[in-house]
Amino acid sequence: MTIYGQDEILELLWTLRELGKSGRSELLRETQEESPESLIEELRSSGHLEIAGDDIRMTPLGDERARVIVRRHRLAEVLLHTLFEIEPQQIDSNACKFEHILSEEVTESVCAFMGHPPVCPHGKPIPRGECCDRIKTEVRPLVTRLSDASLSVPVRIVFITPKSVKRLEKLSSFGIVPGSIIRLMQKNPSHVIQIGQTTVAVDKEITDEIYVKRA
Amino acid sequence: MTSAFSGVGKQAARVVLVGNPNVGKSVIFGALTGRYVNVSNYPGTTVEVTRGEARDRGSTYEIIDTPGAYSLIPMSEDERVTRDILMLESEAYVLQVCDARNMRRSLMITVQLAEMEVPFVMAVNMMDEVRSKKSMPNLDILEEKLGVRVIPTVAVRKQGTDRLLSLLEQAAPSIASISYGVRIEEAIERMKELLPDKTPIGKRALALMLLCGDDSLTPWLAGNVPAHQIREMNAQRSRLVETTGEDILYRVNQARLMWIDQLFETEDAEEPKPEKADLAARFGWLSMDPVYGIPILAVVLFIAYLFVGVFGAGVLVDLFKNIFFDGYVVPAATWVIDRVFPWPFLKDFLVGPYGMISMGFSYAIAIVLPIVGTFFLGFGTLEDSGYLPRLSVMVDRVFRKIGCNGKAVLPMILGFGCVTMATLTTRILETKRERIIVTLLLALGIPCSAQLGVIMGMLADIGIKASVVWFLLLLGVFFLVGYLAGKVIPGESSDFIMEVPPIRLPRPGNLLVKTMARIEWYMREAVPLFLLGTLILFVADRLEILLWVQRVSEPVVVKLLDLPPKTSEAFMIGFLRRDYGAAGLFAMAREGMLTNLQVMVSLVTITLFIPCLANLLVIYKEHGGRVTACMVLFIFPFAILVGAVVNFVARLFGVTF
Repeated sequence: MTIYGQDEILELLWTLRELGKSGRSELLRETQEESPESLIEELRSSGHLEIAGDDIRMTPLGDERARVIVRRHRLAEVLLHTLFEIEPQQIDSNACKFEHILSEEVTESVCAFMGHPPVCPHGKPIPRGECCDRIKTEVRPLVTRLSDASLSVPVRIVFITPKSVKRLEKLSSFGIVPGSIIRLMQKNPSHVIQIGQTTVAVDKEITDEIYVKRA
Repeated sequence: MTSAFSGVGKQAARVVLVGNPNVGKSVIFGALTGRYVNVSNYPGTTVEVTRGEARDRGSTYEIIDTPGAYSLIPMSEDERVTRDILMLESEAYVLQVCDARNMRRSLMITVQLAEMEVPFVMAVNMMDEVRSKKSMPNLDILEEKLGVRVIPTVAVRKQGTDRLLSLLEQAAPSIASISYGVRIEEAIERMKELLPDKTPIGKRALALMLLCGDDSLTPWLAGNVPAHQIREMNAQRSRLVETTGEDILYRVNQARLMWIDQLFETEDAEEPKPEKADLAARFGWLSMDPVYGIPILAVVLFIAYLFVGVFGAGVLVDLFKNIFFDGYVVPAATWVIDRVFPWPFLKDFLVGPYGMISMGFSYAIAIVLPIVGTFFLGFGTLEDSGYLPRLSVMVDRVFRKIGCNGKAVLPMILGFGCVTMATLTTRILETKRERIIVTLLLALGIPCSAQLGVIMGMLADIGIKASVVWFLLLLGVFFLVGYLAGKVIPGESSDFIMEVPPIRLPRPGNLLVKTMARIEWYMREAVPLFLLGTLILFVADRLEILLWVQRVSEPVVVKLLDLPPKTSEAFMIGFLRRDYGAAGLFAMAREGMLTNLQVMVSLVTITLFIPCLANLLVIYKEHGGRVTACMVLFIFPFAILVGAVVNFVARLFGVTF
């Protein structure tokens, strides 16, 4: 599994660079790979790394590959944290496996789905993907948060991921359940949604938890 | 509230009005009983149960109005009140009031009534406001599928309401029945076996409530079900939660909504056009707009100030106090006394400096009445228009900072009418923490209409700059205390999920009746207290207690606040009613006994001052002795502290206003 191993090394380099470190010794101390030296050599020969003494730097090629890996990893963290409420401390090991298997398309869907989050649950920046730029002009993801939906356009609720059961129950007593058609009427100063002829004002926190697709 | 039904006879059939909030239950109550209960255009107007009597073709009915509920599995205090009434009045007929524009939600209550097996009929109200046929099931089909009578009404115009009572004789439990899937159904069956033989409402409904984790049933359970059965119930519920892996109430609600959907002829993939079209609706949206919302609020406040502050506290008070009372009533009374009962004591008692007529009636009728009258009228207009809930939308984010959400603005604004009544409406808030914060802020920072009017009158005399300073100062104190209370008071805050009613043109009829009802309430409630206050002052003056009070409070009133000793009277009587205290200050200011700075200091102090007696009693009733004591112990020194700080800072910088 040298590909996975290479990915891990590149990811670690990216993370160390965020902390302002680029030393080989640093890398070797932090890594959990079994034979890091050979992985580094592989990466150097494939043109991903440049080595000068203790200093290891990513080439533009390596940088690009690392960027994609870090992006997947951190998006997966957001997904696990927001959707399944897994604590940040427990997330890392789970997210590790995601980053190797997510295809580009799936990554973009996850990114759009989570509303193009800028940071991971640990607060580190998520490298932007193409989908983040394009969102406003071309591609609209299939499922978005209600808070990202266009104003006054009817949308159908796909699912709701509430923080508390009570909130879900309250929403359902207004008829706000999966399958219902609703519109987001305004976002400021509070979010106002319309369902049937009922107008309901809610916090943004709540419209963030309602996922919709175009009706 | 009313227990004068002893003469009615025990057979009087009882009718409980039930329905979603803001569907017109209270209007129908009024139409049936001829009694007025407060009617407004926002959810949560009714927080207590009101009873009244209706007659129809020789039979007498006792009608019970309840707070609106979105669900009969209660999520707030007022919903619990409604559900409990249904359990207590198990012999009663139920009249469900529906909102024709929101039938899906109304039918959510209907299916719960069906499960409770109570006999009921449905009034589908506001038929005139239905915009789209698609959002409305065919009423004949509805009758057939539910097996209960369904009557279309427009209660504000009394259309259809005259038939309601006679149709109640045909009230029957609904035949509607929803299946919740194998697992939940099995659990319901097992739960039903654990319930006692005789239950006040249908066992299926109780079983569902228990499975959905309704903890407000605890008192009933404790009295009716043995402990080992309750343990078994919990086990059943846990097992169900484990096997379904989902929230049960949510599942149940979803099944109900799906069942309701099949009552509608067409699937409404195309909803009615959003209500941006007509003028009232446009205004409704603009008033919640981030750009136009603020200017609209400013205009509303300015008009309120012109109407209450300038017209009520200025023009009308002048007319009543200076021309009518001081010009005619007091001289006439003096003339009569001089001629008929020439006793100095009586003269002093009636028209002296602390006389019943010259002070008690004069304050109550000439100063406060015109102010509260104009306030009630203006406030009623706002209530009926549906504007107030839109304010919640505007302030939600700010109110988050004080540990509440936008909903809390409703009791706060009601507080400008009467803090005591507003304290009762804190029940619409969902958590205890929010109720305590709002109660505290009401008691501390919100002046009631009478007091506010008097304050506006005094501020108008010393200029706009002082008014702005007073306003900003109180706003600052309000948010500071709110912020700190939010930090200190434990508990959770609730979600902001609030229905916004449509903007409607207030109906002059309701407005007039409502204002009159409130003025009548004021006369009954406040005037006797004004007279009592005057009596206390009179006696205290005679026994030279007043001098003693002045001397005792001198270090605070004179030294700390730099006010004339006589102001201590106003503060003392402020315990009884804050507006009375303010009226005392008003009279002092008019007589030129206070400098502008002293007006400011005394106004700030009395605005923040201890809540009036009635308010204290309500706080005690709602939150108990400990909370009440804490509030008093905080507010009293705090009010004086703020007054002293204002005084000190103003003098330090030579500000005299």
